[in-house]
Amino acid sequence: MLRVENLSVKYDALQILNDVSFEVVSGQWLMLVGPNGAGKSTLVTALSKGVSYTGKVCLHDRDIMEYRNQDYARQVSVMAQSHYVNYHFTIREVVELGRYAYHKGLFKDVTSTDNEIIDHILDITGLAPIQDRSVMRISGGELQRTFLAQALVQDPEILILDEPTNNLDLLYQKEIFELLEKWLREKDRAIISVVHNLSLAKHYGTEALLLNKGQVVGSGKVGEVLNRDNLINAFSMDVYGWMNELFSEWK
Amino acid sequence: MMDINALAKKNKFRFLDYAVFGVIMLIVFVLCVAIGSVRVSFFDTVKVIWSAIWNIPLPEELVNTSSIIVSVRLPRVICVALVGASLSICGGSMQGLLRNPLADGSTLGVSTGASLGAVISIAFGITLPNFPLSGTMVMAMLFAFLSILFIISLANKIDGSLSTNTIILIGVIYSMFATSIISLITVMASDKVKQITFWTMGSLQGSTYTNVVILSVVLLICGAVLLSLSEELNAFAIGEENARHIGVDVKKVRLIVLILVSVLIGVCVSIGGSIAFVGLVTPHIVRMIVGPNYKKLLPASIICGATFLMLADLIARIILNPAELPIGVVTSFVGAIVFVIIFYRTRKGK
Amino acid sequence: MKNLKKLFLVAMAVLMLGITSCTAATTVTSTVTNTQTVTETKTVTVDPSVTVTDMTGRTITLDQPATRVVALTAADCEILYAIGAGDTLVGRGEYCDYPVDVMSVASVQSGYETNIEQILALKPQVLLMGTMAQTEDQVKQLEAAGVHVVVSDAQDIAGTYQAIEMIGKLMGKEDNAANLIKSMKATFDKVSAKDTGKSIYFEVSPLQWGLWSAGKGTFMDEIANLCGLKNIFGDIDGWAAVSEEQVIERNPDYIVTITMYYGEGPTPEEEIISRAGWSNITAVKNNAILNLPNNELSRPGPRLADGALALYDFVNK
Repeated sequence: MLRVENLSVKYDALQILNDVSFEVVSGQWLMLVGPNGAGKSTLVTALSKGVSYTGKVCLHDRDIMEYRNQDYARQVSVMAQSHYVNYHFTIREVVELGRYAYHKGLFKDVTSTDNEIIDHILDITGLAPIQDRSVMRISGGELQRTFLAQALVQDPEILILDEPTNNLDLLYQKEIFELLEKWLREKDRAIISVVHNLSLAKHYGTEALLLNKGQVVGSGKVGEVLNRDNLINAFSMDVYGWMNELFSEWK
Repeated sequence: MMDINALAKKNKFRFLDYAVFGVIMLIVFVLCVAIGSVRVSFFDTVKVIWSAIWNIPLPEELVNTSSIIVSVRLPRVICVALVGASLSICGGSMQGLLRNPLADGSTLGVSTGASLGAVISIAFGITLPNFPLSGTMVMAMLFAFLSILFIISLANKIDGSLSTNTIILIGVIYSMFATSIISLITVMASDKVKQITFWTMGSLQGSTYTNVVILSVVLLICGAVLLSLSEELNAFAIGEENARHIGVDVKKVRLIVLILVSVLIGVCVSIGGSIAFVGLVTPHIVRMIVGPNYKKLLPASIICGATFLMLADLIARIILNPAELPIGVVTSFVGAIVFVIIFYRTRKGK
Repeated sequence: MKNLKKLFLVAMAVLMLGITSCTAATTVTSTVTNTQTVTETKTVTVDPSVTVTDMTGRTITLDQPATRVVALTAADCEILYAIGAGDTLVGRGEYCDYPVDVMSVASVQSGYETNIEQILALKPQVLLMGTMAQTEDQVKQLEAAGVHVVVSDAQDIAGTYQAIEMIGKLMGKEDNAANLIKSMKATFDKVSAKDTGKSIYFEVSPLQWGLWSAGKGTFMDEIANLCGLKNIFGDIDGWAAVSEEQVIERNPDYIVTITMYYGEGPTPEEEIISRAGWSNITAVKNNAILNLPNNELSRPGPRLADGALALYDFVNK
């Protein structure tokens, strides 16, 4: 579905991403893993056409730069890492905007189909009871779920998520990951997500792309990529050993 | 006073509320036509307007009254309403586009740019032959647009992404720059100092039906396009990055909005001078009542902006009778007070 | 609001009249003016020194009549030329523009931007200026540098005579000054009339920029009264933005506009005639509109008489 070829991003002299290539096909959940500054968020921004890059990104064998933004948004939805809203929009109003990609012509408005989809997504993300609250008056976790709901309302083939459970309680983390897992089961769908928690990455991901300082350290099946040597390489510490030590206490 | 329940209610703002706003606007309009520097009875006011519409000859004693109401007061009130509506829709759009509730044509330097254009046309006597509009208007529009192009390309050069903070900063700096050029021209063109000074004070006096037509056409076209962009403006108001994520063609929409705003501001500035605070305060007040959703905010801003400026002009016309106060003095005075009250209440409500 | 209004008045005064006097200072100076006495010094034999009391009551003594003068206000420049002392002028305020000869004199900043250094560089013996914007400190600075500061601040025709007399004395041209005053008085006597029952409207700024007119305390008002005309905005103090509706309502018999014509588009008179709703005004109906764009009716100088005469001829033609 999505193919990235020799993607490089440079800010002035600083090389953020260097020659990154990978491909995502339907049914896959690609985990972007790596330490801070590895270039994960920049990669997400590049895939959302938010930064200029060299190399090529193709959606269904067509360069994403050739897509009109609205057409692209119907197939790929992106959820950013942090959100800050300046006005008292309600949760529902923010989620509603996810349907923008389906609106055409002048004076477009929300249709009844839109409303059905919005109601459904608000239900499954647990936002339905608080949908009329101002997004400036809700918790960080609720805000996170609001923007996740917006991305889901876009009804894309590929979901790109930067830290989707960043601010969430454990219960919501579990619910969101199970929700996404269920979402992925439908035909022609894929997820690309940045996940800091390696246990979550390993458990829910099918593929992984391990990055360090803009370079690909490992790429492939999640079990193969997240091995001891690769992780030492990427994180400059024995992640594997530490994880085993931490989790052995829970047995 | 602003709690979550109130916000929920705002969401229910519907047609009926527009009707209420509209009726208030009409009442204010009638009030503004009926009251003025020269006292005319309400009955006579209606009579002379009615006669003017149907071309009915008037008795001798009402001829002068007709001049005052039909030729002077009525076009002025309509122009004031249109300018108020235009400036408010501009302010509202800018506040969404830049995600900054304090943004306005003036913060972006568009008003000052337009003023610069007008001052240049006054100082160097630039007029367009065989052109129905005065050179001032064309120059104001042109310079409003050139200013915006300049600000955008500079912002683009600086960080490539037209980041909103950069644009506002450049707007403010540009404003200062344009103001200094205006001062320079004022000093150099010493024979036109008088005109320039009077012009920068701003006046909607002498508004004609030609002005009414120009303002209506411009507001109708630009306003309609802006209203059709309310969904995009919502997206910008939430965040530029988010707007891109949901599929908004960020750069294109921004360019369109900026062009429309510069045309509207250019026309308003050339007709009425720069009138501060309207574009800032109206959308702010309206947002308190109808919420931030641009589908409601823009239409409500148009109505409330017209109402607000008509009232401000009414005060300007009658408070020092027979002298007049510059309308900008009233808008700044009223605007600043209202602004502080709103600011205080919302802060306290938190 | 009052301050704001004063600010406008001040701005108006500088910009339009090109003088540095202003109504804001009226209260201060008028009391002084009333009690003021011009000290007569005997110039009979040896002593060439002159002593004058300026229009704020300060006494200034010069060893001999001044030969190097900087005048900041347009009116004082005009007075200097009118009494034949134009050649003593070594510097002028930037807005001084009459007579034409004055334009070749070095220009200095005046009003709020008065620049002491510029003035000192011209090495004047006397600086003639209005009361506005010069602080005590500035005056002291100038006097410390050996420049005699003389304030001329005429608010009415009588004040203008005083200023002429004072400057005449300062320059050793008392006779010329006396003659000038005599001829001005003669002109004013000629134009003086009883109440004609007619009214006049002075347009200081055209409709396009917002109407401004001249009210009580302005030379226009004073001269209109002298000519037996009633200023329709005599109920307003000084310069003010006025209501267009009121102009139509008050229906003046004559209109005087001071708008400058720049040679393109309609002339100021034509523009007034073409205004919507103005066609029923008596002055417009009778085409009784006079354009006096050269500050004849606003500067406290010798040309006030010319302005009055022009108005008289216009009304009595």
